[in-house]
Formats: sequence, C-alpha cells, structure tokens
Amino acid sequence: MSKPKKMTLSKKQNLMGWLFLLPGALLIFIMSFVPMFRALLLSFKTGVGAAMKSCGVMNYVRMFQDAVFVQSIKNTFFYLIIQVPVMLILALILASILNNKDLKFKGLFRTMIFLPCATSLVAYAIIFRSLFANNGLVNLVLVNLGILDQPYAFLTHTTSARIVIIIALLWRWTGYNMVFYLSGLQNIEYSVYEAAKIDGASAVQSFFKITVPLLKPTILLTAIMSTNGTLQLFDESVNLTNGGPANTSITMSHYIYDMSFKYVPNFGYSAAMSFLILILVAILAFLQMKVGDKRD
Amino acid sequence: MYLFLCIVSFISVFPLYWMVSAATNKSAEVISGRLIPGTYFMENLRNLLATQNVGRAFGNSFKYSIILTLASLVVSSLAGYGFEIFHDKAKDMLMSVILLAMMVPFVATMIPLFQMVSKAGWLNSTIGFILPTISTPFLIMMFRQSARSFPHDIMEAARIDGLSEIRIFFQMFIPTMRSTYAAAMTITFMNAWNSYLWPKVIMTDATSQTMPMVVANLTEGYVTDYGMLMLAVLICTLPTAIVFFCLQNAFAEGITGAVK
Amino acid sequence: MKKKLLSVLLVGAMMTTMLTGCGGGSDTAAPAADSGSTEEAAPAADSGSSEEAAPAAAEGEETLTVWCWDPAFNMNAMYEAEKVYQKDHPNFKLNVIETPWDDVQTKVTTAATSGDLSTLPDIFLMQDNAFQKNVISFPDVCADLTNSGIDFSQFAAGKTAYSVIDGKNYGVPFDNGAVVACYRTDLLEQAGLTIDDFTDITFDQYLENGKKVLDATGKPLISMQAGECDLIMMMLQSAGSSLFNEDGTANIVNNDTLKIVMETYKSLKDAGVLTEVNSWDEYVGDFVSGNVAGTINGCWIMASIQTAEDQAGNWAITNMPSLVGASNATNYSNNGGSSWAVTTKCANPELAYDFLASTFAGSTELYDNILDSGALATWAPAGDSTAYGAGNDFFGGDAVSAKIVDFATKVPSNITGAYYYEARNAVATAITNYINGSDLATELQTAEQTVNFNMGQ
Repeated sequence: MSKPKKMTLSKKQNLMGWLFLLPGALLIFIMSFVPMFRALLLSFKTGVGAAMKSCGVMNYVRMFQDAVFVQSIKNTFFYLIIQVPVMLILALILASILNNKDLKFKGLFRTMIFLPCATSLVAYAIIFRSLFANNGLVNLVLVNLGILDQPYAFLTHTTSARIVIIIALLWRWTGYNMVFYLSGLQNIEYSVYEAAKIDGASAVQSFFKITVPLLKPTILLTAIMSTNGTLQLFDESVNLTNGGPANTSITMSHYIYDMSFKYVPNFGYSAAMSFLILILVAILAFLQMKVGDKRD
Repeated sequence: MYLFLCIVSFISVFPLYWMVSAATNKSAEVISGRLIPGTYFMENLRNLLATQNVGRAFGNSFKYSIILTLASLVVSSLAGYGFEIFHDKAKDMLMSVILLAMMVPFVATMIPLFQMVSKAGWLNSTIGFILPTISTPFLIMMFRQSARSFPHDIMEAARIDGLSEIRIFFQMFIPTMRSTYAAAMTITFMNAWNSYLWPKVIMTDATSQTMPMVVANLTEGYVTDYGMLMLAVLICTLPTAIVFFCLQNAFAEGITGAVK
Repeated sequence: MKKKLLSVLLVGAMMTTMLTGCGGGSDTAAPAADSGSTEEAAPAADSGSSEEAAPAAAEGEETLTVWCWDPAFNMNAMYEAEKVYQKDHPNFKLNVIETPWDDVQTKVTTAATSGDLSTLPDIFLMQDNAFQKNVISFPDVCADLTNSGIDFSQFAAGKTAYSVIDGKNYGVPFDNGAVVACYRTDLLEQAGLTIDDFTDITFDQYLENGKKVLDATGKPLISMQAGECDLIMMMLQSAGSSLFNEDGTANIVNNDTLKIVMETYKSLKDAGVLTEVNSWDEYVGDFVSGNVAGTINGCWIMASIQTAEDQAGNWAITNMPSLVGASNATNYSNNGGSSWAVTTKCANPELAYDFLASTFAGSTELYDNILDSGALATWAPAGDSTAYGAGNDFFGGDAVSAKIVDFATKVPSNITGAYYYEARNAVATAITNYINGSDLATELQTAEQTVNFNMGQ
C-alpha cells in the first residue's frame, strides 16, 4: 500500500518542480534560445550588411585563418588563466576575513571593497588610463622612488598593457565575487568556527577545512561566471587599451563587436565567432561542473 | 589583518576619491591630473543640468531597474528552487542547457532579439527593457546553488504539517534565504542600472533615455568637459552604492539561526 | 545514457514548440505594429484630404526627427537651422534627439540588418569616414540626394567626395575637418622661432625646428595617440594618396607615399619631436597642461585647445608641413568631419530636402549664427561673409575662420573606401610594429594581407 502512494507523492513533487521552474525556463527559451537559434542559422551564411547567402561551415574555417582573431583567442586565454584564479582566491580570503564576528568597521570595509564594481565604466576607464599615463600617478611614484629612470608607457607595451587590464579586472570584480562568498558564508553556522577554534584549529586550517568545502556550491557558481565573463571580456579591451598595441591585448568579444559595428558588417562571421566562444565556455563550464557539482 | 584590509580598501576607494574630486574641478584641471577637490562643483552641476535632462534619465533608470530587479528575483528564485529542491536527472540536464544561454556574446543575439521586440511593439518601453533579462541563467544558478544549503528536514516537517509547496517557498524558503536574496538584489540592481548596449538599441526616444546613455552623451562631441562628465558619473554611481550599503547587513550578517 | 538522450529530445521538443510558439506570438503582435504605422501615416492622409486638418496633424506633417550628438556643436546647428527655416515655414518643427555617433552606428546597423527601418529618424548626422561603408553595406538606408534640388557644387570638392558613392550624392556636408597646425608661440620664441618658420614648410624643416624647440624647452612639438593613426592618415591625404585604389583594391604595399609617411612618422618619433601617448584624454591633457608645443589635427581640435584659458594669446595656427619626396605633396589635409544623411524611411522627403537645401546648403545667415560654436562651413558662399573675417583673441587676434575656410578649399580629395576602418587598423598595427623595430616592407605586406582577408567574404 505504502509503496504506490509514495510513488504518486514523488510524481506530484516532480510536477511541482517543473511548475516552479516553468516561468523562468520559458522566458530563457524565448528571449535567449530563439535568438541564439537564429544566430546559429546566420553563422552558416556570409555577406555584407543585410544581404546574406549560405556558405556552409566556411565561417568556422575562416576564423582560424584570421590572424587577428587567433591573436584575440590567445589574449583572452592569457587573461583567463591569470586573472580568474587570483581574483577568486583574493575574494575568498577577503570574505572570510570580513565574516569574522569580532572585526571592527566591517560595514565600512565591505562597502569600500564593493564600490569599484558599482563605478560606471566610463569613470573607471578614464581613471585607469590617467593613472597609467606617461605622466600619470603610477609613473610619478615609480620614478620618484627610483624604480624607473624615466616614465614607462604602460599601455603601449604588450606585457604591461595586458597586466594593466588584469589589474583593472581584479580591481573591479574582486569585491563583486566577495559578495557571493559573504552571502554563502551566512549559511554556515558560525558556531562551527568557534568549535574549531576551541579544538585548536588555526585560521588557515579552518579556512581550508570548513570555509572552502562548505562554500563549494558558491565557488562553482563564481568560477563558471568568471570564466564566462572573461571569455566574453569586452569593456576593458575597448576602453583601456583599445586592443593595442598592435592587437596584442584585443579580446574575442572586442573583435566580434568591431566586425559587427565598426567594420563592414558581416553578421554571419560574427555569429560564427560568437559560437566558438559558446563552445569554449561550455567545455570549461562542463569540466568545472564535473569537478564541483556533486551533491554529497 | 587590519593593515591588509586598509591597503585593499585604499586601492579600491582611491579611484573613487579621484572621481569625486574631479567632479569639483574644471575640465582642464581634471585632465592635467589635479587630485585635490576644487570649487567648480556648482558650475559643473549647472552645466550638466543645462545640457542634459538628468532628472528624467535618472527617473527612467530607476523605474526600469526596480521593476526588473523585483520581477527577476521572483522568477529566478522560483526556478532555482524548483531546480534544486525537486532535482532529478532531467532537471539537472536542463540546468546545464539553460547555462548555455549566457555563453554567447550579446552582440550575436542582439539583432534577432531586436526584431522580436520591435515586432511586438515594445521599443521605448519598460517591458522591452526588462523582458530579455528577467530570467537569467546566472540568477537561477545562484538560487539553485544556495538552495542546496536549505535544510531538508524542516521542509519535510512542514510537508507533514500539510503546508503546500507554494507556502513552503514563500513562508520558509524566502525568509531563510534572506542573505541570498539581498546579494541577488544588489547584483541585479547594479546590472540593470548599468546596462547599456540593449537600452541604446531599443530606446530611440529622447524621453526614454537612461542614466548610462546620458553619460555616453557627454563623452561624444569634439570637446569633452571632464569635470561635468565626472559629476554625471558620480550621480550614476550613487544609487548602486546606496543599494549595496542598505542591503549589506542583510546578506553579510548571519540570520540562519533566527529561523530555526 | 538512455535517460540523458530522452531529456535531450525533450529539450529539443520544447525548443521547437517555443520557436513555433514565438512565431505565433509575433503574428498576433503584428496588428499592434501595423496600427502603429497607420497612426503615423494617418496625419499625412488627413492633411491631404482637407484643409481643416487638426493642428496636431499639421504639426505631424512638418516635423522632422534628427539624430546628432553634440549639444554645443551639431545639435546647436540644427536648432539654428530650425529657426532659419521657420521664418518661411511657421509650422515647421524639428525633434532633435541626442544620440552619440557610436549609438547612431549601432542603431542604424541593427535597424538595417533586421529589415525594420521604422525606428530610424528622418535625418541623421554621419561621420564622413563611415559614409561609404554604410551606404555600401546598407543600400536601403540613405536616400539618394543627387536630384533632390540641393546644389552640391557650392561645397568644397574634397568634402563632398566622402558622401558620393557611384557618382550619387548621399550626404549634405556639414562641419569642416580641414587640418590646422597649432603652435604655442611663446614656446617657439624660446627657441628663436616664429609661426612663420612653420608656415608652408616641409616635414624635414618641421623636424629641424622641432629639435630646436626640444633643445630650448624640453618639450616635443606634438603628441599623438598610439595605436590610432590620425597623423598618418592626414599626411597621406595631404599628398592626395589613399589606402585604396579607384577599383576598391587595397593600395598599401605598392603605395610609395605611404612608405614616405611611415618613415617620416618614425623619424619624428625617434628624434623625440613627436611623443606617443596612450589615450585621447592624455592627448588633450598634453596641450591643455602645456606639455607639448603644438599639435596637428582637424580644425575642430581648436575648441579643446581653447579650454586652456590660461594660454590665451599664446597660440597660433597655420597650415601643416608637406611630405618630402611625394608627388602631389601639399600643405593641406582633412581629418574628421561629418555630413547629414536623409533616410529612406522619411515620410516627407520633399520637406527634408527643402529644409537642407535652404539651410545647410543655402543660408549664410545660418553659418554666421553657428560660427561662434566653432562650426565652420564647407559651403563656399559662407566663407565670404564678414563674420568669417573677425579676429580671434585666443589665437593672437588672427582671423582663423577665414584661414581655415581657405585651407579647406585646397584639401586634395582622396578615396575613403568602404573598408576604411579595417585598413586604418591594419596600418596602425604596421606603424606600431615598425616603430618598435620591425621591417617596414614586411609590415606593409602583413597590413595589405589583413585588409584583403577582411574584404574576402
């Protein structure tokens, strides 16, 4: 008797689940997947402006012969490999420090660290460009300290231009990711930390033994989001270095945007390059989910 | 530890200090790198109000962002809850598929989306602004991930007490997950407030312009008035900062204990 | 595995239903869109049918919507044009919507690509460099103005060339982008030089003078934005040369003038007479805070120079240096500028044509009124007006407006090409690498390959 009843209950619950996620899923299908499907069809066409003709997979072959696009893939992965791990670790450390009950001025510190990502892009671009200008503050300090003999043109040398972009990304997004960790930490009983402390665990030990494992779902979320965000990186490349010098800091999204709105537009080719980004992010996200999305 | 926090905070805040002081200086002073606050604030404000309809843009941005944030929180948290609490193979699979929706650069899907919205007659409207981003894979996943820590035993207890699933969601899940909601609200409001590419495509009337569009207006033209620009940017930054400041206690102070 | 397959199929099925569902949705939505367009069409029908048309309808008929972007400059010019035209057409009204150029480009591209031109205005301002690209990519957007009654012969030839495609006129020229060389006379004096030492000179003389100024004041003559090749393009056009041939093919590897330009640029950079900066802000900051002794750019740069109020009276303008060894070298060129385009969506094109013909292509009064905002005409009759002869105290009392109008008539015309931005970017990459020590011939070869790659579909 009890077995069939349980079956219907779980069936009913299963149905409830679908009802809960229906509005959200429906909206995503209409507002994202329908346009994506059209873009996918477009990626098999080529032409100028609105006059398009079929071309098979030519766009997908073409992008690997496109020296600038290949360069942009390399640049983007350079940012991904360095910036994402550094940023997430820094955000995690800041979040666990700020979660400390005995810390003073917590609210103030939290707000100050969050503020960069609230800053409008326009301001932040102007500020960073001016800080790293030839006669900007950074050069002024380095020259006065005797580290440099003469001002260094940070944004016109490949390595330093890329580093400036990474610094800018860290500045802007660390506080943003910290918010997720802070909110995730609230779901961990604070008494767990106090108990660990009584047992003689150091701050470092409780960080690795308690914080990291319990925040795993949130870390997965931020890792996927940051990977996605970095592979679609656009603002910094456009506004800080304008892709330069000689395209050595241009990102994939920046090039796709140029191809759509600055150059003679070929939306078929742009769509194909966009789907390469989708494939790359999907692979990375899949790997991250494999590692991080297990329910214990 | 305090030293570390102070250094990080200083680095975070310095550029903002620069922005505030730039808003009080003359354009030529800003561009030559003056860091000290000046006396040109009122003049910048007068110029800004004379050339741009800041009040209207601010009001528009506020309206769009609030409506989008509220709609988005309800729809996405319902979905995230559904995905996690009633999870099975099919739903986990669907979640992965939904994630794909955020992995294509917006530039590629913008034109088909524009066609849809334009055909529906939603250009220059709130619905046109909010519809594409009410439900985002990001928020759904965020709620799904945090629903994982929602204690199953109290849910079972509530079911035995005869509470309906909807009431469990509204009466138990939402209050327990207050910190997640607060964090999601901050982030969604910020994204809505700063969104630029989509509004600039669908808002063709002067009356529907948003704050970021006003800022963009100031950077075009042959001469940029940097003092005035920085003031506009400052006005554009304040709401997000205030929202964060007001909500931070909700997501950063433990509250889980109170519910049990 | 089977289960997974099943869910994939399920998702697939859902997607198809969504797609068809959406198709249905837009069908049902169609009437709404229709009613919108009938509403627009209604006033025209009304006023045609009877004289007692409601005031609202009459107003609707004589209103034009315009997109442009600078309140102090081209928007102001439109408002002044409205006033001029209203004298004969009291019901005429303009609805000017401030839209930055980037946004104009994005909106035009989006509308044209999605085949829905209804969102476009009646008239919009277009950057001259983007004119060829937009008319060729979106042939449906801009109206052909050749037989619109606007007299194009009164404009400087170099200027109209930007908006002429296949012998047809698509744009009414607006602001002047004639190149001026601006110098700080007080700094030149310290090196024992005057503005006359910089007038009608070659780049060799410019380099020699620059070294003297550098020795005397420690300041370079000019700074330029790295990665942008404004100066390169100005130098190229000063000898009437382009990055494209008449037939549209790239003209980079075999372009001798381009080689001279690149070598000249590098020699200026190597001597320290020219410094490169990272951004536009820094470029403007350099002359506003007196870090450089001058600059070379389109005449619109003078508005930025004049924000440095403390330097009033210390600036002077003259023509730019000419290239050495290039055939057809002149001291005149062009950078920037824009023209008005009429869209095909415009419901009342006759009104739009007449408005432009009697203002920007027919009113000295308009050009006199907007002169104070720095909008210099490319329309010849305006230059004869007495207003253009007035002296400007910031530039030592010189009659700069008349001077610039004179420069503008001497600018050699060149070929912009639809792939202008691609070519410009490729050349910017080449100059960056060349300055850092790469071989010039190889870099030009790469640049031409990049442009050819972009042109192949």
